[in-house]
Amino acid sequence: MEEKLTQRSVWEKILNKLRKRSLWMLHYCTGCGAIELPPTMTARFDMERFGITPMVTPRQADILLITGYLSAKTLKRVILTYEQMQAPKWVVGFGSCTINGGMYWNSYATIKKLDRYVPVEIYIAGCMPRPEAIINSFNVLIQRIDEGKANSWKDYYENYDYYKKNQEAVLGKFDTLVDIKDDAKKFNIV
Amino acid sequence: MSTILWIVFYPIIAFIIGLFMLGYARKFTARVQRRYGPPWHQLIFDIVKLMSKKTNISHGYMHDIAIMMLLGGTLLTLLFIPVPGFHYFAQYGDMLVIMYIILIPSLGMALGVGETANPNGSIGISRALMMLAGYDVAFALSFIGMAMLNHTTSMYQLMLIQQQHGISSWGIVVNPFLGIAALIALQGMMGEKPFEVFIAPHEIATGPMVEMGGKYLGIMMIQHCIGVFLEITIFINLFLGGAKNWIELIVKLFVVFTVLLSVNAVFGRFRTDDAVRFMWKIPVAFAIIGLLIVIL
Repeated sequence: MEEKLTQRSVWEKILNKLRKRSLWMLHYCTGCGAIELPPTMTARFDMERFGITPMVTPRQADILLITGYLSAKTLKRVILTYEQMQAPKWVVGFGSCTINGGMYWNSYATIKKLDRYVPVEIYIAGCMPRPEAIINSFNVLIQRIDEGKANSWKDYYENYDYYKKNQEAVLGKFDTLVDIKDDAKKFNIV
Repeated sequence: MSTILWIVFYPIIAFIIGLFMLGYARKFTARVQRRYGPPWHQLIFDIVKLMSKKTNISHGYMHDIAIMMLLGGTLLTLLFIPVPGFHYFAQYGDMLVIMYIILIPSLGMALGVGETANPNGSIGISRALMMLAGYDVAFALSFIGMAMLNHTTSMYQLMLIQQQHGISSWGIVVNPFLGIAALIALQGMMGEKPFEVFIAPHEIATGPMVEMGGKYLGIMMIQHCIGVFLEITIFINLFLGGAKNWIELIVKLFVVFTVLLSVNAVFGRFRTDDAVRFMWKIPVAFAIIGLLIVIL
């Protein structure tokens, strides 16, 4: 479908050009993948070149980086964290464990596909991916934001029922204290 | 007429200078750590991104008002600081007024963070106020020394007196002890390492900013840009002879900021009690020696 060139879309394009240069990352490091992040941040690979900085609280973060496997217990924390982040926000699945369970495929305690529970923008394959792969994937994310294709976060507001169903299948009934449907209406997202 | 123009454009100029100073700070820190670092205009991207967030969660009325109080208090303080070409309010409010109203942003912040009910935020605020009790003693003492030396409490008069004989009449040359005390206090006031106790990202998750996201954090960053300009300009006016034109002011701002950043880039963080203990020992000792020199 051809995108109509309106004043709003032009403004959004300019914002995307600026937005892609400043991505603050919250890393959720329960898996072993966390070990690849210090080299990515420090002198050798320095991701601050692209404006990507680690942040420590979900309210300030734009990227949620899930490094490695998630057990049912940690999945709950990820969902709580994800819902506290301010849109636009992107989840990056890091390593094989988030894609298909990886080496924990047979485990009774871990979840296999991350994108059933929260909308994932991109996956980084590997066990574990090296800093080059991380930098490369962030560049892909930056490119997608620039083109206006990085809209996975809208999916959570639009198809909340689907995600909620999957979450409750694993975790049972639970309340995150964030009213997603209300927020979607209030901030005019859907 | 020109006064009204200054009131409108002075905060904007201060914001732009502060913006590039903070961008320079990130580049400088990166280079010290042997990284390439972000571009020097990185702060523009950050602020635009934060202000263009789609969702902005508020925790209540006090949370909203506090952010305005933070920015408003900073802008109010800024108007009392004399700069080249503008000293209208500086005639009516001297340094004592500035030392009172400079606390408004911190108090506003304390009220707003209380509303968010995040324990990290409350710890951050209590640490910030404790740090304030630390550096304010040294800063007040060094200011009192300068006031006694020059027989005036007006910042504009202090600036003029120091400009009489060039560098030899600068406060930091006339009485270096007071200058050093104020410089260490300034490090604490700006929240740079090793006095970073109330931000402490690895300990209390950026303290007061922990529940701030989107536009709230955007306004806080704007306030931070103005705050950096304001605090260093106070130091320049008191000890480095102010400035005769804006280029001189900008050069002095960057020089003082580089001194602070060099300490910031290589030091770790004090514990809260150690930071206050340090502040009450070393800078206060310097300030008292300076005061004794002034009196005797």
